[in-house]
Amino acid sequence: MTEDSLVAVKNLVVKFYTYAGVVEALDGVNLKIRPGEILGLVGETGCGKSVTSFSILQLVPPPGRIEEGEIYLNVGGKTLDIRSLPKDAIRQIRGKDIAMIFQEPRAYLNPVYTVETQIGEALLTHRKNEFLQKAIEALEKAGKKSSFEKRVYERMLKKPKSLVTKIMAKFCRKKTLMKEVHKEVVELLRSVEIADPERVAKMYPFELSGGMAQRAVIAMALSCQPLMLIADEPTTNLDVTVQAQILNLVRELRKTFKSSILYITHDLGVIAELCDRVAVMYAGNVVESADVYELFEAPLHPYTKALLESIPKPGEEFKSIPGTVPSLINPPKGCRFHDRCQYEMDVCRKIKPEFIEVKKDHFVACHLYGGSK
Amino acid sequence: MDLSAKWKELKVSWQPRIKEWKFMLKRIRESPLALIGIAIIIGFVIIACLAPVLAPPQAGWDPFMLRPDKDLAILTPDPTPPTTRHIFGTTAEKFDIYYGCIWGTINAFRVGLIVVAIALVIGVVLGTVAAYYGGLIDEILMRFTDIIIALPGLVLAMALVIAFPTAIPLNITLIILVVSAVLSIYFAAFKPQRKYLLPNQIILLISLFLYLTNPIVIGLNMSKLDKVLISLAIVGWPGYARLIRGEVLRVKNEDYVEAAKASGCSDLRIIIKHILPNTVYPLLIVVTLDIGSIVLTAAALSFLGIGADPNFADWGNIISMSRTWISSPELLVRHYYTFLIPGIFISLFVLGWNLLGDALRDILDPMIRRR
Amino acid sequence: MSSIITIRNLKKHYPIFGGVFKRRVASVKAVDGVSLNIFKGETFGLVGESGCGKTTLGKTILRLLKPDAGNIFFDVPESIINEVIELERTNPKSKRLKLLRSQYDIATFSGERLLRLRRRMQIVYQDPTTSLDPRMLVKDIVAEPLVAQGIAKGEEARKLVVDILKKVGLGEQHLYRFPHEFSGGQRQRIAIARALVCRPEFVVLDEPTSSVDVSVRAQLLNLFKDLQKELNLTYMFISHDLSIVECISDRVAIMYLGKINELSPTYKIFKNPMHPYSQALIASVPIPDPKKRKERAPLTGEVPSPVNPPAGCRFHPRCPLVMDVCRKEEPQLFEVEKDHYVACFAVAKR
Repeated sequence: MTEDSLVAVKNLVVKFYTYAGVVEALDGVNLKIRPGEILGLVGETGCGKSVTSFSILQLVPPPGRIEEGEIYLNVGGKTLDIRSLPKDAIRQIRGKDIAMIFQEPRAYLNPVYTVETQIGEALLTHRKNEFLQKAIEALEKAGKKSSFEKRVYERMLKKPKSLVTKIMAKFCRKKTLMKEVHKEVVELLRSVEIADPERVAKMYPFELSGGMAQRAVIAMALSCQPLMLIADEPTTNLDVTVQAQILNLVRELRKTFKSSILYITHDLGVIAELCDRVAVMYAGNVVESADVYELFEAPLHPYTKALLESIPKPGEEFKSIPGTVPSLINPPKGCRFHDRCQYEMDVCRKIKPEFIEVKKDHFVACHLYGGSK
Repeated sequence: MDLSAKWKELKVSWQPRIKEWKFMLKRIRESPLALIGIAIIIGFVIIACLAPVLAPPQAGWDPFMLRPDKDLAILTPDPTPPTTRHIFGTTAEKFDIYYGCIWGTINAFRVGLIVVAIALVIGVVLGTVAAYYGGLIDEILMRFTDIIIALPGLVLAMALVIAFPTAIPLNITLIILVVSAVLSIYFAAFKPQRKYLLPNQIILLISLFLYLTNPIVIGLNMSKLDKVLISLAIVGWPGYARLIRGEVLRVKNEDYVEAAKASGCSDLRIIIKHILPNTVYPLLIVVTLDIGSIVLTAAALSFLGIGADPNFADWGNIISMSRTWISSPELLVRHYYTFLIPGIFISLFVLGWNLLGDALRDILDPMIRRR
Repeated sequence: MSSIITIRNLKKHYPIFGGVFKRRVASVKAVDGVSLNIFKGETFGLVGESGCGKTTLGKTILRLLKPDAGNIFFDVPESIINEVIELERTNPKSKRLKLLRSQYDIATFSGERLLRLRRRMQIVYQDPTTSLDPRMLVKDIVAEPLVAQGIAKGEEARKLVVDILKKVGLGEQHLYRFPHEFSGGQRQRIAIARALVCRPEFVVLDEPTSSVDVSVRAQLLNLFKDLQKELNLTYMFISHDLSIVECISDRVAIMYLGKINELSPTYKIFKNPMHPYSQALIASVPIPDPKKRKERAPLTGEVPSPVNPPAGCRFHPRCPLVMDVCRKEEPQLFEVEKDHYVACFAVAKR
């Protein structure tokens, strides 16, 4: 199952140990993201979409813990088991191989640093040697072959960890390096369709509008050319016209950067606009996963069907799903959707259905389709 | 609705609040420091309640006044160390330290609670009015508060204690006259209605008549300790005013306050029912910490001789009696019991309130966040 | 149909203070000259993006904010409204105008009379978590309008509270609970109960379904429809979600930077939007059908700040049909087809 995928999540179980009880946030989540595809993860509030994305990056906050399951990342021909990686290795992956953008961009940008400083920080963390090289070349071209700065850069390339290097670096003003980084930042801002990137680079986050801030965050995420971008409801707080612009931008960037995208949202319209494949989540489980055209045309799981029916259509009655999302502290046994499902059978109350491939590339977890194997 | 149904309804209505209290108690139980703090304070409360039993006063004497042990006075002019007759020893004036510490507990509670209560009332009213109405009122009140803060606290307290006359003649008629005059201006300007104006004008006329012919004057006799209380309250209220002003500013713009306005609530109702219950938590924490520090300040004032009367059963007072040999280390060690034991009482008292305040802060913060 | 609300040239500006002496240096022109009427018993949809002033307009109509200019008439006979319009045009300083305005124009009301008005118009806020006092029991929250306005108290109030709670789908067992014990959808129902307990005639719904889950949204919308029929309510439904507005409103107005661009019955505006902004807005909504994907964003740029709106037609910097006159003069709403009003020079030309 993992061979043709970039990131594969198998049977992920995450629990939160809170004062009120144990919240069984994820109950065996199965996801697969292929290279270069946009996978939409759709579900209501509290179904576990964000927790899944945090788990992939091992960012689940305490009191949450990943109890079971495997997360694989295929990079450079090797398959890495993310759960077993040491802290340093995970930090290398974060930002470089897998980047993440969030719902409220201005809350995730540090308000006391300019946009340039923050994107520059991301660039320097992961592509430092590249910029050092560029700075050395720039100094050589300018004729300053033996300046102190150049020697510092060369030393930083060769012996980055020695104490002498660090002391020398502290005393050096690193102007050329910062200039190179600034050039790259402006280019990045231009590529996310920000008008006048020079001016925006020097702005602080509170001076940016919602759409611009989100673009800046996208620029920061894509700065290190990650293999996968996790987008956690990035357009939910934006106006609908700005959302259309950002969705367009994401489509364009996918063509240039060729990253896969895990796009989390609760808006089915956005899913239909943007995604190649869709995974539907409910109360901590992925209940259906299929190609986007197939999901909208022939949904299999009762929850997916109910979701599609609840989209308001003018002139018709509003159809809602009876009941409410169950509390995850004492979730219902068996299939978690059974008490709201119109096709409820006896077995649904007792046994949790398996996530199996019912049609080609169309997975469902429901007893109606033989999930009790 | 008959009585039993009413009682059942009352019980049901208190259920959710009881649940909240239970949650808070559970958190308290889990924090060892909080338990220690509560234990200390409960210990002091027991001592205060059982003071007549633990240290029986002499019949006919005011229990708060220390009386010298005349027999020992003849023997030696120095303080006597702890013996079976005087468990903690005596001071140079032959006051029983044990007696002083026990009855001093009642005094400590009195000082702490009264000062904080007065300062709280003044501070909350001024801070809430300033924050709720904003604009010019806010500016005026806050500048006034700033002035009080700018004056050095302890020095101001000392000055007030010395400057306050012991007997204040309060001209009640004059006070009523002024208040009703101000109110009549207010009503005439804002609420010209018979039900407000009529009784107010009647009171105004009566008090004017009385003032001119036969004013009622009450002489208020304050003991030195009362003066200390009032001056500490005057010094202490600006802190509360600023604190609650910040909180009210935050709550004022919340949706539910505007919703209350949309429901037709008057300003007063909004302040009392909506804003105050939601802003009072940080104040609770500061109040518990302040009770301890007020007692310390009062003890310092007593030590300087400005506080209680010389024979008063007050911890600081007892320590002040050892002022004479602070300079000489040898005497200090020999008569350790004169200051060490009351000092332990003060420290434990302040420690208890501090621990409770810290624990409250830890507990109430998540409770607020939990909502 | 008779209008229950008529507003004319309503303006609400928020001052910005700056400088050493905190003088009014600029103002946010949140609502800048809006005129419309709302008919009795209808659901009037108000759509716009963030910063266009729709929430401000709703709150100003309810007099939760004091308007800076304009008239608001609540349940006033048409003859009087016409007289006021006439007088304002011909003799703005006449005493009769002043008298009429102080009697009928709620923009001038204050104090006691405003309080009595509150009974007849109410609001449901967007976020039920912040619009309910977290320290009050549900019983007190819902009873508050009754108690505050002196309509009922004690036992009588309790009966009315239970009655309205049952109508919104909650029950007597929910009386003695705190708001945080409920889910988002239930909290919104409590807020609705509070708004309806004193039987108002006009309710402003300020994005009431934006903060709740998708599956609960449909339940709430059905509830609104049922309550409207049962209690004879008139709604003003403010939202940025066009698909919901399309399904629930009878007429729709689209706002941009403090002014109304287009106003028409729902089916007309969604089938045939005429104003370029309306067209772009409706085209930007993602359709939940992958076969109908769009390949480009219909509208470029961002909404300018309402502190310094563009001169002339506010939309002209982003408009594909911009002409010279758009940069200098502001277009007024005029009737393009029956009941369909548009404020655009390009459309007027046709």
